[in-house]
Amino acid sequence: MLGKLMKYEWKATWKLLLSANLLTVVMTVLARGMVYLMDKTPYSSDFQMVDFMAIMVLFTYVASMFAVFVGTAIYLIHRFYTSTYGDQGYLLHTLPVDTHHIIIAKTLVSVLWVMMNSLIIYFSVIVLFATSTEIVKSMMEGFVDVLEYMSKEKISAFVVIMTIVAYIFNLFARVLKVGACISLGQLSSNHKLMLSFAWYIGIYIVESMFQGVYFAIRSAFQSQTYPMSYVSGFGVDWETTLIAGIFHCVIFYILTWYVMDRKLNLD
Amino acid sequence: MAPVVQCMSLTKTYGRKIALNQVYLNLERGRIIGLLGPNGSGKTTLIKIMNGLLKPTAGEVLINGQRPGVDTKLRISYLPERTYLQPGMKVIELVQYFQDFYPDFRVDRAYDMLARLQIPPQERLKNLSKGTKEKVQLIMVMSRDADLYILDEPIAGVDPAARDYILHTIVNNYNRCGSILLSTHLISDVENILDEVVFIKYGSIVLQAGAEQIRQNEHKSVDRFFREVFAC
Repeated sequence: MLGKLMKYEWKATWKLLLSANLLTVVMTVLARGMVYLMDKTPYSSDFQMVDFMAIMVLFTYVASMFAVFVGTAIYLIHRFYTSTYGDQGYLLHTLPVDTHHIIIAKTLVSVLWVMMNSLIIYFSVIVLFATSTEIVKSMMEGFVDVLEYMSKEKISAFVVIMTIVAYIFNLFARVLKVGACISLGQLSSNHKLMLSFAWYIGIYIVESMFQGVYFAIRSAFQSQTYPMSYVSGFGVDWETTLIAGIFHCVIFYILTWYVMDRKLNLD
Repeated sequence: MAPVVQCMSLTKTYGRKIALNQVYLNLERGRIIGLLGPNGSGKTTLIKIMNGLLKPTAGEVLINGQRPGVDTKLRISYLPERTYLQPGMKVIELVQYFQDFYPDFRVDRAYDMLARLQIPPQERLKNLSKGTKEKVQLIMVMSRDADLYILDEPIAGVDPAARDYILHTIVNNYNRCGSILLSTHLISDVENILDEVVFIKYGSIVLQAGAEQIRQNEHKSVDRFFREVFAC
């Protein structure tokens, strides 16, 4: 049944989200074309039509990237809420399927979309900035420098793979956290959405406190200071990031399952 | 054989409000049972608990001798009082959806009923009127060979002609070995198809009897008797 749930979750989301990603591609082509046009236009100190067009296109490009990224997140959250705890939940929760399968299907499809979305935006930015062979060459050189640095610092392929694995676990944790907060909000008879939001803020505060304690303890024992990782906020070493990611995944998964399986309360 | 539904001291509270108060109820197989009561009497709460959409505060409900779960959902065909369909889906996709998840779903029966109502399978649900959506939903539910059909207010908010179609569809398409639990407050419309009635008031079962038995003993219709029992 997991495969079937995933199939219908994908079918319910692909049209809008694929369109959003196609918009990213189209805007990238337009912005790239505009950058090319500017390169070919002789320099002038006067403000020309091409300058105005470039500003407009690049502004629209940045706005569309932001809209697609944020819009995808909002759409996936809305989809989770309506299909699980809204009217459509009446069908979902009367299907002869295990609650675990429901959570796994929704989480996997959401993570796939977030990953696809992020990759397309990364590539879009690379394409936009690769305006000349010199820039492409310097990008390649930068990449080679990273590889050389990794070799010099004895960072093995294993560490790179585990860092990516840690990133993926943290991505799952973020998606599961949203699902858990929406689910916890259902424990109330009234103001369910508001309570979901309050749970999110509460969990964020608790996480921040734990991070603060973690870094305080760590800095007390180590002279080297570590920057905050954008992945999990727990540190740059993949072991900690991975453990934190797995820990978060387990906690948020259990919370979601508990509410959905043991405390379901559809209005 | 065990009753299709057994409720034992089933209680549901929302804060201080008691929605169901120690309900004891057995529903036998092969019968059309009316769950009758005014608005707010606890009909929908009882139905949701049977379907696993709500958890009871105390007590227990058994479907085919099992607590609500994957196995009972395989045997219950449930029509909620609201539309649970994805608006972007086509009717043909909905048929496929039900076929994928319910082994007892009869595709030919579904298409036959859709054809009778001239509902195009390629039509998207969002393009259908509210009444037609409700009919599509009813067709999906009645196209299963379930042990128990639970229909929550299937004729509320529809015109008399549509009511006739809905009742006709229910009576002609259910699995004869199964039971139908039909919740409504529009007694006169359903009275003729009921074998048995359950009156529910303020979350408690006040009467469970055969429809014919009521007519014979009370010398009045079930609808008339209902109005007396629930007189304000």
